[in-house]
Amino acid sequence: MDIQFERVSYTYQMNTPFSYQALKDINMEIKTGEFVAVVGHTGSGKSTLLQHINGLLLPTEGQVQVGNFRLSRDNKRQDLKKLREKVGVVFQYPEHQLFEETVERDISFGLKNFQVPAEETQARIASALEKVHLSDDVLQKSPFELSGGQMRRVAIAGVLAMNPEVLILDEPTAGLDPKGQHDIMNMFYDLHKTKNMTTILVTHQMNHALNYADHIFVLADGRVHMKGAPEQIFSQVESLEEANLDMPDILSLMNQINQKFGTDLCYKRQKPDELAKEIVEQLRENKPL
Amino acid sequence: MMTAIEFRDVYFRYNEDAPWVLKKFNLKIEENETVAIIGHNGSGKSTIAKLANGLLVPQAGDILVNGRKLTASNVWEIRQNIGMVFQNPENQFVGTTVRDDVAFGLENRGIPRKEMIERIHTSLTQVGMENYQNHEPHNLSGGQKQRVAIASVMATYPEILLLDEATSMLDPRGRKEILSTIHDLKEELEITMVMITHDLHEIILTDRVIVMNQGQIYKDTTVDHLFNDYQGLQSIGLSLPLTVELAIELERQYDYQFTTYPLDNEEFLEALWTSNLKE
Repeated sequence: MDIQFERVSYTYQMNTPFSYQALKDINMEIKTGEFVAVVGHTGSGKSTLLQHINGLLLPTEGQVQVGNFRLSRDNKRQDLKKLREKVGVVFQYPEHQLFEETVERDISFGLKNFQVPAEETQARIASALEKVHLSDDVLQKSPFELSGGQMRRVAIAGVLAMNPEVLILDEPTAGLDPKGQHDIMNMFYDLHKTKNMTTILVTHQMNHALNYADHIFVLADGRVHMKGAPEQIFSQVESLEEANLDMPDILSLMNQINQKFGTDLCYKRQKPDELAKEIVEQLRENKPL
Repeated sequence: MMTAIEFRDVYFRYNEDAPWVLKKFNLKIEENETVAIIGHNGSGKSTIAKLANGLLVPQAGDILVNGRKLTASNVWEIRQNIGMVFQNPENQFVGTTVRDDVAFGLENRGIPRKEMIERIHTSLTQVGMENYQNHEPHNLSGGQKQRVAIASVMATYPEILLLDEATSMLDPRGRKEILSTIHDLKEELEITMVMITHDLHEIILTDRVIVMNQGQIYKDTTVDHLFNDYQGLQSIGLSLPLTVELAIELERQYDYQFTTYPLDNEEFLEALWTSNLKE
């Protein structure tokens, strides 16, 4: 499902003294099967933007096209349920939304709501669990006995069980330890690669945007401030500064090395050992005799 | 020197069917030390903080704060000495303005109005939020909220400040704000500080690093020595800062020598500069 924002603006509490324009004239296009990162400082409009993709919010102006669904202010009354079946959203701290007595019932809650035939339920649950790397002995446990990381996986399994075509991830790694973050991001990346899942990652972590995304949209003050491939975006240090964003760790380090030693390191997704090699080679080359 | 927090043979588990989170656990934190307790999720690090101020009660063993044994009858009194800042900035507000929020803890302690106003001013200045006294907390950024939470705690003059993953829910800027606030507090005041974290960048501020694994102290060391056993740290699920990873590669492949592993870019550049001259 291709996604297209055309001149989208959104104002909260329109026509009241509290009215606040969160999105301003947003144009963006996301193609089927892309992995896109939406980054921006707190309050830049990221969460408002993502709520437009499955119709939780309708644009005040402009329109959003998601596959065959056209979302705008004028056509409010349509069956959004079909859309929401296809666009799965993993909200921030999704484990806070667990409520059922067992993991199995929690994962099947969405399936029931969307009238997935009962005979399919078991297979869907099993495949969702497999995708999040949990074994089926958690099924009869209460979700609340699990560790934080496992609870988050259960909540994600609930979304994946719907077999969405588009997956929206709002800060999916917040509050996890570094290893947990790494595991969860790799899990989403695998899904994206193997199932050709369109993935939209909203994140503060520039490292994740750099490592996983094909395209990055930088939001600032409700507008699309920059868009492009990660290498392009992160080469524009000043423009990033304007959006109050930092460089990914590896790029800021490479820039500083270049400045101090007059080297010419450039980012090609190097692993630490490869980068170390380049640093040494360039330093030896540059060394005056 | 007095011992600020002491755990003696402490056993703790969340319920009878659950495994022990802490088993015969011993720990001493001295007065005015700045200590980081690190470990992966589920290693027992947050449990330590909650036991230390009596939010959890151990099944066996003693916990002493400033040399006094923590009991059901003195827990309220002892808690006045331990200020705690939690993970979620949203869950820590009671007041409708920043000033009211800081005042809350002081009102509870019956501090006279005049002194209260002074303390509010001082503590908000310490965290750089003095110009926000009349702001509503829900309009603040995450980092600002956590700074107000720290100010609310500091206004009660605690002897010990416990930060339980206080930066893990913040964006990178918010995290930097809190770290510089903590740094300033450490410079200005004599206070025991315990930072519970899984972010290895934060330990740069501390005198001592305790690594937890499976309810045990895996390592009790200093920042400078922590990464000497980097394989061990990786094996218990901690990931290394990029600068440490690079330094390890430089040593392994190219005979560079680092006296200590660099924790941030500045240290890395400095070390690279020095060894490059020697070569």
